[in-house]
Amino acid sequence: MKQPLACWVVVLGAAASAQDAPPIKPVVSMAPAPVVTITQGKASPVPLSFRVARGYHINSNQPKSEFLIPTALKISATTDIVIGGTTYPDGHDMSFAFAPDEKLNVYTGDFEVDVSVRPLRSVQPGKYIVRGNLKYQACDRAACYPPQQLPVSFEVRIGKAAPRAHKNPPQSPHSHK
Amino acid sequence: MKRNPLVLVVVAAIAAAMFFFGIHQARKNRAGGSVSGQLRGQPAPDFELQSLDGKNVKLSDFRGKALLLNFWATWCGPCKIEMPWFVELQKEYGPQGFQIVGVAMDDASTEEIAKFAKQMNVNYPVLLGKESVGQSYGGVGVLPTTFFIDRDGKLVAREFGLQSRSVFVDHIKEALGQGQPVQAQK
Repeated sequence: MKQPLACWVVVLGAAASAQDAPPIKPVVSMAPAPVVTITQGKASPVPLSFRVARGYHINSNQPKSEFLIPTALKISATTDIVIGGTTYPDGHDMSFAFAPDEKLNVYTGDFEVDVSVRPLRSVQPGKYIVRGNLKYQACDRAACYPPQQLPVSFEVRIGKAAPRAHKNPPQSPHSHK
Repeated sequence: MKRNPLVLVVVAAIAAAMFFFGIHQARKNRAGGSVSGQLRGQPAPDFELQSLDGKNVKLSDFRGKALLLNFWATWCGPCKIEMPWFVELQKEYGPQGFQIVGVAMDDASTEEIAKFAKQMNVNYPVLLGKESVGQSYGGVGVLPTTFFIDRDGKLVAREFGLQSRSVFVDHIKEALGQGQPVQAQK
């Protein structure tokens, strides 16, 4: 038991004394997305949940300065599935020690982005994987980190649309018996 | 298996000492302060970058001056806090042979960077950064990152992230040859 403890301490101590610039860590992670069942030809929102690591913030989709980089989800184009609008949550206004007089509009903790997905009527029913990237730029209380791209993927199950209802042609009121 | 309590205590004490030494070193490096023994006294890597007005500028063009080399970006909030201090420090220490050089590590256009610099009343040269230049300084994955270079072109100090104005003043004096090496401030 003693040797593993000593080894861990040495490893931790050595890692802590690294002399280069602090490494860039991924600040945002994505929770596994639920598989959403969508009917051919109909749009449905797919909720994507993200988490910002404690102690960090990222700009919202509508930051208050033109120079700030907004958080934005970009979904790769697919041939048979139409990606409609993306709905971002409102950020919350926060001020930080580095800018006490200025409110920044940010995401912290957990936030959800909804993507509207509409498979064409011609798509074969089945499971499809949709991929994209979440671009964000993170800061902590004293420093900022270069923009990052978080790979995003989610699965949708496309179900068959109900057959189109055929309207009966109007009948003549002068029906013949 | 019978364990000797004295051995356990000695091992725990050694382990704790090593761990806290590591943490202390990490804090010292994270906070910046004096550059580590490996960097202090090393020549600041030379580079050539384009300035906002389209001129090619080399770091070695400033040889003979004490330099503050600041890596920043328009999207970096803490960088915005430092800039007014830098404007004042350039005015205050410039006559003594001190020069601030900003390096914008930005994807923004030259026009946008120039607009930002104008808004901040920047009175020192701003160069358009390249990843390779950041790498030559050990990587600038954290912004702001600031290096202090003495009149002989040797590295004196490095700071990651926003620091207090007094920390910058101490390092500037050290780079000018007026002060003692400054230890980590955090």
